[in-house]
Amino acid sequence: MTSMLHILVIDDEPQVQRAMHTILAKRGYKVTTASDGEEGLALAATSEPDIIILDLGLPDMDGVEVCARLREWTQCPIIVLSVRDSERDKVAAFEKGADDYLTKPFGIEEMLARIGVALRHSTSRQSGMPNKLIRAGALTIDLTWHLVKREGREVKLTPTEYKLLAYLAANEGRVHTHQNILTQVWGQEGMDHPEYLRVYMRQLRKKLEADPENPQYIITESGIGYRFISDE
Amino acid sequence: MKFITMKIPPFVYTLYQFLLVGGLMMIVSMGFEALRYELDNTLIALLYLIPVGLITAFWGFGPGITSAMTAFIAFNYFFMLPHYALAVHYPADIVILTVFLIVAVVISQLVGRMKASLLAANTREQEALQLYELSIALTGVHNEHDVVQILAKEAQAVLQAEHVKLNITGTESFSFHFPDRYVPSRPAELTLPIQTARNFLGEILLWKVASTIPSMEKRLLQTFASQGALALERARLAQSEAQAQVLKESDHLKSVLLSSVSHELRTPLFTIKAASSSLRGDDVVWDSHERVELIEAIDDEADHLNMLVGNLLDMSRIESGSLQPRREWNVLSEIVGSVAARMRYSMNGHTLEVNVPDTFPLVPVDYVQMEQVFTNLVSNGLKYAPVNTAICICANIEDDMLHVQVSNQGTQVPSEHLERIFDKFYRAAATERVTGIGLGLSICRGIIEAHGGRIWAENLLDGLAFKFTLPLSWDGTLSPQIPMDIETE
Repeated sequence: MTSMLHILVIDDEPQVQRAMHTILAKRGYKVTTASDGEEGLALAATSEPDIIILDLGLPDMDGVEVCARLREWTQCPIIVLSVRDSERDKVAAFEKGADDYLTKPFGIEEMLARIGVALRHSTSRQSGMPNKLIRAGALTIDLTWHLVKREGREVKLTPTEYKLLAYLAANEGRVHTHQNILTQVWGQEGMDHPEYLRVYMRQLRKKLEADPENPQYIITESGIGYRFISDE
Repeated sequence: MKFITMKIPPFVYTLYQFLLVGGLMMIVSMGFEALRYELDNTLIALLYLIPVGLITAFWGFGPGITSAMTAFIAFNYFFMLPHYALAVHYPADIVILTVFLIVAVVISQLVGRMKASLLAANTREQEALQLYELSIALTGVHNEHDVVQILAKEAQAVLQAEHVKLNITGTESFSFHFPDRYVPSRPAELTLPIQTARNFLGEILLWKVASTIPSMEKRLLQTFASQGALALERARLAQSEAQAQVLKESDHLKSVLLSSVSHELRTPLFTIKAASSSLRGDDVVWDSHERVELIEAIDDEADHLNMLVGNLLDMSRIESGSLQPRREWNVLSEIVGSVAARMRYSMNGHTLEVNVPDTFPLVPVDYVQMEQVFTNLVSNGLKYAPVNTAICICANIEDDMLHVQVSNQGTQVPSEHLERIFDKFYRAAATERVTGIGLGLSICRGIIEAHGGRIWAENLLDGLAFKFTLPLSWDGTLSPQIPMDIETE
């Protein structure tokens, strides 16, 4: 192993630090822990982590603020941890540049999957070679030719539907907040109309999903936004 | 006369009366003069006492004295020798004149005083009546705002004021205006404190177009203010008593909660502790199957604990009134779909049937809270209905209201308990095997009511149905139209 991937965990609970350290070190990551925002910011600057796991409830400063200050100088992926019913905080963290979130308590497989997605995105961003052909189950989305196929047959989408799908698929695995999607797809006008997204999402799922009520490709993140799940 | 007394200022009034009384006495004197040769002077003097008495009785002391003086002069002028001159020939006439003057003045004094005291008694009776009406109106009013409103209205009506304003100080300071919000630009003509022996409660300001406000009105307003102060204090006492009652109840609720919660939290903790300490101990060697079983128990119970804590948090949010729905236009089938997808793993044996047309209009609800409602209602079915039965979610629209039904094939609830199952910590009897702290349904009720809807339970032929309604309009508007585009070739 030439270089171990380095994870910085910023969480004030000693038990959480200990558990994360044990679990992640066992899986071959190098783990550094910080107990508050200031220490976390300092360690992020000196130890150059590959990924940062940041608890939003820190004793010394607001986790969203830590997120904003990190984003002033680093593109390192940030996964925020928070408790249930704090959708506002999560959405605020996304606005300040967080990449993903986990709601405490969470399963470790879930955390590892999120770490995987975040790392994949940071490498593809660094290499500057975004994936142009996305596969997800029976779906293929060709972002170059604007072509969507399901089980080999083309799916006819309206321009808005395609825009919505393409935006989510190009950033597969990641959560996009409602506001983020609305401005990307509908521009400024979309900001005040979350219902646009709800209605188009219903149509898109009807065209793509085998069971639109139980979607496999575009997952609803309650109170936050949507996430596209690809095969990768 | 009433018309005149109301319109004419005091000075003109006296002058007018003076002339009127003088004129009347003149006419009477003319009448008497016609009788001069038939009647003796002493009789005429007696007759003069009649108009003097009557005038005093009708118009009071001042006009009475005026009439007495006029009578004195007229008697002297017309009836005493020499006639038609203010002079007296016989000394006996002087006696008659003097006696007449004294008697006339005394009569008018007496009658006038009686008249004045009658007037005063009338006024006092009027005041007493108005005070009585005020105190009747204030009886049984236990709200500060109502007290202030009644006080202002009564004061304005009784004193015929242009405007009345009450400034109330206290924990919650406020002002009340009557009859409208418009306050005259000049300072108030009369300002009186509203206070009891112990406290200053505020002040009453009165605007009235008048050069001076009579002391009687001031006194009346003063009495009003003290009546109002008493009523206000009573209202405040009643309020703090009610608060004390609420505190007492919530205290009781807290102790119920603590005992219920500690029991419920301890059960999963016991399982976790037992399983983890078993795995940790080195006295027994567990085979892989046993290990997996113990680990699964820990995992399940951790989830269970998480759910309990979540319910407690939700409940405290509903109780504190901080559970404000963040409404957006949502697709109902998406909400139900995501709940169904998430619960698929905990169904063990039950089936979930969903019948929510995706052609429904958008519904103005908080997505996350509605997910919570469906999750709790379905979980309730999972807990109470036997395995291999179905749980159904269906919805329809009637009269601009969304009607949703979540039914299960579990045991029916006696009709007298149908309402109570939504109460906090209420658990249907004979369900010892079922875990939970009885908060799921009361959380549903809290959320639905915060959305302006209603939730209730009904027994079905083969089970139990939870039904709720939600308004389809939001601030008076129905589901918005979405600009749609079309597929291009």
